[in-house]
Amino acid sequence: MTDLQWARISNDAFNVALFAYIAAMVGYFAHLAFKRDAIWQISRAVAVAGVVANIVSIVARGFAADRVPWGNMYEYSSLLALLVVIGALVVVEGVYKVRSLTGFALMFSVLTMAVAVSFLYVGPGPLVPALNSYWIKIHVQAAIWGSSLFALGGIATIAYLVVDRAERRKLDALGSKDRPPIMGGALDLDADADADAPADLVPDPAEDVETRPAKRRLVPSAAGLDRLAYRIIALAFPIWTFAVIAGAVWAQEAWGRYWGWDPKETWSFITWVIFAGYLHARATNGWKGRRAAFIALVGFASLLVTYYVVNLWIVGLHSYAK
Amino acid sequence: MRTALILLLMIALASVAGSLLPQWPNTPERVMRYRADHPVWGTFLDRAGLFDVFGSWWFVLLTTLLFVSLVACLVPRTRALWRAVRTPPMQAREIDAFPRYAQVAVAADPDQAIDAARWVLRRRRFRVARDPSRPALAGEKGLAREIGSLGFHWALILLLTGVIYGKGTGFSGLIAVVEGQTWVDAEANYDGTIRAGRFFDGGFTGTGLRLREFRSDFQRTGQPMDFVSRVDLLDPDGSVIRREDIRVNHPARIEGLWIHQSSFGWAPVIEVTDGGEVAASGPVVMDRDPAPEGVVEFAMPWRGVVKLPGAGTDGLDRAIELELWPDSRALTALLAEQEPQAMLVEFDPIIRFSVWEGALTDLSTNRLDTTGLDEVSSGIVGAGRTADLADGAALAAGDAGSGATISFTELRQYSVFQVGRDAGVPLVLAAAILVLVGLLPALYSSRRKVWVRADPDGDGSLLRVGGLAMQRKPQFEEEFDRLVGALVSSAGGRRAPDPGAGGPGPDQREPEEHEKVQTP
Repeated sequence: MTDLQWARISNDAFNVALFAYIAAMVGYFAHLAFKRDAIWQISRAVAVAGVVANIVSIVARGFAADRVPWGNMYEYSSLLALLVVIGALVVVEGVYKVRSLTGFALMFSVLTMAVAVSFLYVGPGPLVPALNSYWIKIHVQAAIWGSSLFALGGIATIAYLVVDRAERRKLDALGSKDRPPIMGGALDLDADADADAPADLVPDPAEDVETRPAKRRLVPSAAGLDRLAYRIIALAFPIWTFAVIAGAVWAQEAWGRYWGWDPKETWSFITWVIFAGYLHARATNGWKGRRAAFIALVGFASLLVTYYVVNLWIVGLHSYAK
Repeated sequence: MRTALILLLMIALASVAGSLLPQWPNTPERVMRYRADHPVWGTFLDRAGLFDVFGSWWFVLLTTLLFVSLVACLVPRTRALWRAVRTPPMQAREIDAFPRYAQVAVAADPDQAIDAARWVLRRRRFRVARDPSRPALAGEKGLAREIGSLGFHWALILLLTGVIYGKGTGFSGLIAVVEGQTWVDAEANYDGTIRAGRFFDGGFTGTGLRLREFRSDFQRTGQPMDFVSRVDLLDPDGSVIRREDIRVNHPARIEGLWIHQSSFGWAPVIEVTDGGEVAASGPVVMDRDPAPEGVVEFAMPWRGVVKLPGAGTDGLDRAIELELWPDSRALTALLAEQEPQAMLVEFDPIIRFSVWEGALTDLSTNRLDTTGLDEVSSGIVGAGRTADLADGAALAAGDAGSGATISFTELRQYSVFQVGRDAGVPLVLAAAILVLVGLLPALYSSRRKVWVRADPDGDGSLLRVGGLAMQRKPQFEEEFDRLVGALVSSAGGRRAPDPGAGGPGPDQREPEEHEKVQTP
């Protein structure tokens, strides 16, 4: 096939993926509203079809341009959208059995792809010399994986804050005296309450299996979402650290200095610092729960700045990555 | 830790300012424009160091404070870790007070049960200490978390040390080398001033570099494809060490120097004669005019100047200003259709020149300041041709004209390299790897402790197990359950309830224990 045909396949598959994600997103929200398992299964199948189309689009793009298909913002966005959906399906739904976040992850991917196709589209072409290095495989991949996981962590954090607020309202309405202390974290039952719970509340290992709830709730508790967000961010953080280090190694090779406070370097550092602050806050009493969640949200915003604002509006050495 | 976090946050905020405002080291021309647009505000920002955030005294102060507070935090933690590694796990008096607790009647007698438990825990990589006074033991696992965390933080300090050492003793500068020319590493041979660290010892290696050829490839769209400088790297005595192709992303390294491809340009070889004698001869390194808005930079002509003090009429200084069009079709197109056209390849290059006479104020730069100078003539000369300086007319080969001529012998390219030294790079890289290696156990490992005690009970023993996890408590629940299962089966399994004893059930805690709520 010619490069032109590959390019056409890539663009068509991109549109298919985008529409599949939109349909799946609507389906997942319908599942949240009507709680019907059949809707979930159909939505999931549509999302998987979208993932396949997205992969086809990216691979075809690679053939059309004869290089790695993550050399500009359009391609990076496509891959980011793909990894966020895969992360939602495999990590959040698969490993942690939480279905309620997938619709929001799809929404993130739909927005990312819509922005990419409307404002960032460029035809397939060769890389500028500055990008032509094997480090593009290492540094950019790590950056995309880290970003997609941070995005999922951000989505889980927003969900946590919403559910936490709802739980607090409910407790207020009940006039309960068991209100968790303000800023003292959500009903983090298993994380902290255990420490000072009387020993007899702790179930005997033999009983443990039977007493566990057979079915998980559709929307997890605030504490569960908080933990989920933390785990995803704790997974993303070392990947992001690696991406920054790999970027520095590449900078030494391409520009003769490993760090020069270029806007991209600066913002990736800012994002790193904010999430490092989040991880520390999680380990500090009085900062758990909502306060830490707000730090994670700031980190999420900083990630978006690192990607969009730095590339599009700030002049620097990464400006060619448009 | 709180101080360190606040300082880190302040550094992040300063970085935001540093990325939003133009910075002297990165984009000096934008700083100047900003200062011209905002005279008062710009002066204030400049005084406050906000145009050089990362080199300002307060940024250095913040970084210093951060690392002082980090060290102050790390030293006691490291001591505590050292103690924890060297001392065996502590025995517990009240096992049933721990968050996780189980008790099971097993068949083995107490000593056997504890020996078996010791083996079970050892196999699961617990550090185990036997209680000397009774059949009991304490086990601990997950010191890797603290080791990793401390490794991560110490590695950050190592990283900063490497940065300071490397930047402090290193330097970086730019050199322009014309095809066929040789450059030698000495202070005078750098363009402008080098950026040297505070502790730079001024040592230059004397190694050399000869540019054999420079090649650039472009797509038809004008997008650059590849730049290559084919060079010979030379010993101080001039012998060739090796040949190398220096590209973007492919620097050369020699004697601790990094040589990077930076930019490139044209250098026409010009010969000027005066009264039949050669007054100046050699390549003239040219700069490209900045492109106005909406014009590609490759469409702009290149400028250079030949300065000849005392060579003009009546002993005046003479300067010949040169404007090079490496692809003369672009000039034709511009004159005919007012359409700028990118010049990506060499094609019938021509030079427009104008001759100035008067008093030269500055002999060193590539620019001509025309104050105090008068233009006496101008003309055009093509590659391989000669023109008369007196009237600008083209001369045929062998025609000496007025005796003052300019010849455009050939067109060569020059390549600009960034040459620098940073001895801190290996240290910084090692520290960065250590940061990453420390991070993994710091995030994913968790510290947990278990205690096992066996007391004589009937013809076997009553095994009591307590557990405590500092992190990842939900996972520990499952681990604890599996551990209890393994401990029980290694201690001969569950013992059938003793019908005659009338004691508690085999695996349920005694009823009255529900009332005995103890906190550790």
